[in-house]
Amino acid sequence: MLKKRLIGTVIVRNGWAVQSFGYRRYLPLGKPECLVQNLDRWGADEIFVLSIDRSSDRLGPDFKLLERLGQLGLGTPLIYGGGIRSVEDGLQVIRLGADRLCVDAILHDDIETVRGLSRQLGAQAVIAALPLSYRDQRIEWLDYRTKVSTQVSAKDLDAITLGIVSELLVIDWEHEGQPGGFDHRLIAHASLPAEIPLIAFGGLSEPGQLIELLSQPPMAAVAVGNFLSYREHAIQKIKTKLIGMPVRLPSYESMYSLTADV
Amino acid sequence: MSSRTVCVVDYHMGNHASVVHSLRELNYRVRVSNDQAVLNEADVLVLPGVGAFPSGMKALHSLSLVSYLQEQARLQRPIIGFCLGMQLLADASYEHQYTMGLGLIPGEVVPLINPQWHIGWNSIECVLQDPLFQASDGQVFYFNHSFAYRGPSEYQIGLSRHHKAFPSVVRRGSVVGLQFHPEKSQGPGKELLKSLISGLCHA
Repeated sequence: MLKKRLIGTVIVRNGWAVQSFGYRRYLPLGKPECLVQNLDRWGADEIFVLSIDRSSDRLGPDFKLLERLGQLGLGTPLIYGGGIRSVEDGLQVIRLGADRLCVDAILHDDIETVRGLSRQLGAQAVIAALPLSYRDQRIEWLDYRTKVSTQVSAKDLDAITLGIVSELLVIDWEHEGQPGGFDHRLIAHASLPAEIPLIAFGGLSEPGQLIELLSQPPMAAVAVGNFLSYREHAIQKIKTKLIGMPVRLPSYESMYSLTADV
Repeated sequence: MSSRTVCVVDYHMGNHASVVHSLRELNYRVRVSNDQAVLNEADVLVLPGVGAFPSGMKALHSLSLVSYLQEQARLQRPIIGFCLGMQLLADASYEHQYTMGLGLIPGEVVPLINPQWHIGWNSIECVLQDPLFQASDGQVFYFNHSFAYRGPSEYQIGLSRHHKAFPSVVRRGSVVGLQFHPEKSQGPGKELLKSLISGLCHA
């Protein structure tokens, strides 16, 4: 049976891992490599590294960061998002060690490039990030570069994503970084394509929230960022509170003897 | 340090750092190469891979590795394919266009339908007795694919289920294919690699 996933998220700005609050306030945490290594050691189901300034500053993907992450030899699957402008960018991100890509800005600008990425890498490697908000009883989609939100319909989302991405990352950008802040109406009212599994992110801190989301059939994963900081074994601690959910049990590195029998 | 040498076949599809790291943690000597002289020195050949089947076969042809790998399989040299590397072991694939594979394990690679892809952690169920996989029966591994092997049941050692069952472990003699990524499957992946490489070398 396919398990639902707990994704550890690292937000990167100006090359540094940061805590992000509502897409507008940032606190430095340190080197992204250190946080990624922790998530790998703690047994996250996937690690999501999101470089949030690469598209708005037209810098392209952070290949140097990816090189450093690739050299870590991670034992956990890696998703990378940030600055992907072309099919060649996406291919290079995979060559440097990411297993999957997350696209956001390019969904607004050039859907044909997303289609090209999907053709080259397979849709299973492509995730669409949708920063959404619920206002005046309607769902709005944010272009984070311009800070402008526009109403988005189910038909729009179908046209954008169907057949070319394998999962939708629904981001509650307004409540990002706010404990217990994720607005469940984003899932209930967004009329997201039923065929595409969802990942929720933004303001997810409480086990009860995670259980409520993971209990919903379209939810394949939850992504947690800020709330994994300043504590040891944060992934295992969350997972112990998700017992009974269809998630992988917490794992501890020391369980395994790694010496070859010769 | 083990006396065994594992060579990762470098055909320019994906990044090999995680594969190399996993094998080194298991204390194997690891080489990454497409030079047949280097590959000849290895006890086990690993064929990793991320990407599309036609590109993978094109790369193997351009490096003159197709007939080399077929010859090594005939000589009973252990060969292990991961994900795309497993699919390349089959006779052919329908990905993009019909493309001939290495033909080391009879069968074809066909698209997954409803759902069209299989992403995340899933368990394997051993359906044939094989001591190399006994300890991994029921363990969960990381999958990320939209095509799967279809072939005679005699080669299907393990299945996984996602709406329908599909072969996730295949074997013909010393040639083994894993549809998942053991190098990205943390402890269970390393345990399986240890058992598999050790078992194939002692067979």
